[in-house]
Amino acid sequence: MENLIIGLILLIVVATLYLFSLRRADHSKLKKSLTRSLRILIQNSIRLFAIFLIIGMLQNFLSKEAMSNFLLRFRGFSGILAGELAGSIMMGPAASGYPIAKYLFDSGAKTPLVSAFLLSWVMVGIVSMPLEYKDLGRKFMITRNIVTIIGIIFLSLIMGVLI
Amino acid sequence: MNKVKSILKDYALEIAISLIAIVLVILNPGKAYTGFKQALENFRSLLLVMIGVSLLSGYVSVVVSKETIRRYVGKESGFKGVIAGALFGSLMVGPAYMFFSFFKEMVSKGAKPRVVAASITAWAVKLPWIPFMIALLGAKFAIVLNLLIFLFAIVCGYLVELFLGKAEEQR
Repeated sequence: MENLIIGLILLIVVATLYLFSLRRADHSKLKKSLTRSLRILIQNSIRLFAIFLIIGMLQNFLSKEAMSNFLLRFRGFSGILAGELAGSIMMGPAASGYPIAKYLFDSGAKTPLVSAFLLSWVMVGIVSMPLEYKDLGRKFMITRNIVTIIGIIFLSLIMGVLI
Repeated sequence: MNKVKSILKDYALEIAISLIAIVLVILNPGKAYTGFKQALENFRSLLLVMIGVSLLSGYVSVVVSKETIRRYVGKESGFKGVIAGALFGSLMVGPAYMFFSFFKEMVSKGAKPRVVAASITAWAVKLPWIPFMIALLGAKFAIVLNLLIFLFAIVCGYLVELFLGKAEEQR
């Protein structure tokens, strides 16, 4: 539902942009931009579907319960690393990680582990790294991921102190 | 023949994923089928956003001027540009990687890598979902974690740019 609303808002914004420049910019530019958009859409559809497919399969072959039970074996600093690793392999929209986090808490996991899992769930994705590499470059991909992986360790430690 | 080769190379990852999928189908058809159905469902629910992102990417790459990008998220944007990137990340739906093609167009038009990095990091904040998060995980945990993510998004942006170094500065 939320996807639908934001999708519609996005389309309205884009349509307004196109209509607005219909009056100013020359039409050949708009045509070119539409052709390019179509090419991006086709390319994105293939790439994103492949990622959705691998995530869908992962979720079925690696159940959330099995992963949580594996995570619960770790304590302290190794818990942070385990949570981070699990979050990087599994991936999904931020909100779908919350129920897993709750399950972890209910089963006795500590704040740093759950934080590390939730953070890497969205920020680091082994599955999406090839796409990041292709679109944003090798240097950017490597730098951003390393900074984030180290940052998550610090954030999780801070969470452990604050909560 | 060359064209076939370049397509193979361009979609190497997708082909690899299809091969893995085929192996999984042989191993356990039931689970693989559920996974496939989930992927389709995901695709369907995000299709509208995907169309929007593609149209926006095309628009940015052809119509929007370099000066505009530079002013709002580029060289001249400074701290405000990073904040704008982080806010964009906290508000958008769908996975961050769905917007990578859009980021690519933005960067090639002069957007700063720090803005993109801040945006991707801030993707972990989902403003519309915070009430849900509070209900599940408690107010203190939810609010502190989201504040930390937002701060880290800004720091991460600057760190990424620092490590990317002067080479990027020349753009």
